[in-house]
Amino acid sequence: MRRALPDLAWTLLLAVLVALAPAAMKALFHQASVSYLSLASNAMSLAVLALSWDLLARTGQLSLAHAAFYGAGAYSAAILAKLTGVPLFLALPIGGLVAALLALGLGSVTLRLRGIYFAIATLAFSEVLKAVVQEIPTGVAGGAAGLNVPPLFRPHFVPGAMQRWEIAFLRNADYFYVYGGLLVLAILVSTIAQRSRLKAAFTAVRTNEAVAAVMGVRPARAKLLAFVLSSALVGTLGALEAERLGSVIPDGTFAISTTVFALVTPIFGGLYTTLGPILGAGVLSAVEETLRRTFAEGYLIGYGIVLVASILFMPRGLVGLANRLARRRGPPPPGEDEAVRTASDPGAAESGEAP
Amino acid sequence: MELTLLAQGLVSGVLAAGLYALVSVGLALAIGVIGVINFAHGEFFMVGAFLAYQLFVSLGFDPLLSLVFVAPALFVIGALIYLSTIRYVLQAPELNQMLLTFGLSIILQNLALLIWGGDPRSISGVPYRSVGLQVAGVSIGLVPLGSFVISLVLVVGLYALLARSRLGRAMRAVAQNRVGASLVGLEVDRIYLVAFALSALLAGIGGVMIAVIQSPTPTVGFAFTLKAFAIVVLAGLGNIRGILWASLAVAVSESLVATLVPNGDSLRNAVFFAIIFVVLIVRARRTA
Repeated sequence: MRRALPDLAWTLLLAVLVALAPAAMKALFHQASVSYLSLASNAMSLAVLALSWDLLARTGQLSLAHAAFYGAGAYSAAILAKLTGVPLFLALPIGGLVAALLALGLGSVTLRLRGIYFAIATLAFSEVLKAVVQEIPTGVAGGAAGLNVPPLFRPHFVPGAMQRWEIAFLRNADYFYVYGGLLVLAILVSTIAQRSRLKAAFTAVRTNEAVAAVMGVRPARAKLLAFVLSSALVGTLGALEAERLGSVIPDGTFAISTTVFALVTPIFGGLYTTLGPILGAGVLSAVEETLRRTFAEGYLIGYGIVLVASILFMPRGLVGLANRLARRRGPPPPGEDEAVRTASDPGAAESGEAP
Repeated sequence: MELTLLAQGLVSGVLAAGLYALVSVGLALAIGVIGVINFAHGEFFMVGAFLAYQLFVSLGFDPLLSLVFVAPALFVIGALIYLSTIRYVLQAPELNQMLLTFGLSIILQNLALLIWGGDPRSISGVPYRSVGLQVAGVSIGLVPLGSFVISLVLVVGLYALLARSRLGRAMRAVAQNRVGASLVGLEVDRIYLVAFALSALLAGIGGVMIAVIQSPTPTVGFAFTLKAFAIVVLAGLGNIRGILWASLAVAVSESLVATLVPNGDSLRNAVFFAIIFVVLIVRARRTA
């Protein structure tokens, strides 16, 4: 754990920054800070999604079911709010729990599937879940039309004392803190997985399960653990997003685009690292915002181009690129080199064998 | 009454199986010969559909006439995509290959959205679109029947090509052993190129037919990629011969669910995915 200390210090610094950011933004940008805060929340949401996908990918499981866990969390929050008087805040951990239980179920039946087979099975699961949610009686889940979700935060009313944008600012700042908190949690999980014995276990399982078993790692356990942790994070995120966006609908909440974002971001940023997915989320959410303003439909094309270009020209992502540039300048700092080596064997063990 | 419904479901399923087989056999060809799982396969299908639509709208081409232009166009598009991207990941880990084709799929789909928008497009003016015949209360549309026949001819043609021709034998040799094939003087890279382009061509022809049967949107391709995966997985990866039976099984069960189960139409897609899911899990248990 001692090696984890510097990372934990960075995470703490990030937490402090998140706590201070809204006030600083308000002082600097006044009214514009309202939309900046919501953009920052989008970026942090993408970072959580990407970190959780990466966590799972570290065990060699390339999931195409992130939309399913996101949707499960979102729908849990929506149904809880509709049918029970559970405080809205509690919907976040419950959304995470529901997603984690689903992952435990899916993970146990897909344990033996590798590479492409795992990917296709998870994609199929995601689509079946979408169809099943549509078939739940309309009185419970709203059918194809979806459900409205009450907002996590009520507007702050101080009659006369505040301008309209200040009320919006407070609301966005509230969400910003919650997204920030979730991001810090995701970073902590990722860091601990990266700096403890789990890293060796995950890497061993990804590279060669048989060898991992000989080393004393239990592949099934490591894979399930990663699956459950990853889905719990995504489920919580889904519940939070449902409450921020105000509605859930099968076609949107279970949209394949969530899965696309979840996997493109860490690949672009740098697989099997904590920094990569965060870096990728920052850059991509800025790019997406620009594209979305230019094209109403089809802006996802940017993600496709980034994905293809990353695979062809930058298979180790932004982090790999930075490491390579750093190494060209001087000798690599210890530890850095290790990160590059593990990043260079994405799924080396999966050589197209039968499932 | 119930019996007629059952018969209708069976007939529609069998007719749809032809198109499914055509699209799946292309995917199986790419997987079997090149060893690359192509997530963008359905996008070739979608591009074929929209090219046919555009030829119809701009030049008034009958879809049957468009086939003559769309097929070679898709062959060229497939070849260009192979040369510009797929070729460079042949030795890369499976993850990279899969993600690359996934990216290609996103690009093609959204490119179509940018060009044609998200609304369904139909080729409505074709005279034979609504022609059909009634046999004992079961209606058989001329267009589904035609697409079934064309698909069957093409699939059987591909089987013959693989079994008899020099190119087909070369493809099978490369599929079995890449190094061995290159040692006996086969140009592996060129055979891959032809196989990939041929696979795009077959999907594109299927697309022209769907443009007449349905009113496709740019997302139709992804749905067909998944359907084709279901069929290919059911047949066994790389098993081109099993495709016909797998298509029949999948198309008929889809059609039966849609006609016999109340509110079954929305469950259509779930049937496919449930099949893929169960087949994968059961296979994994059996081989483990």
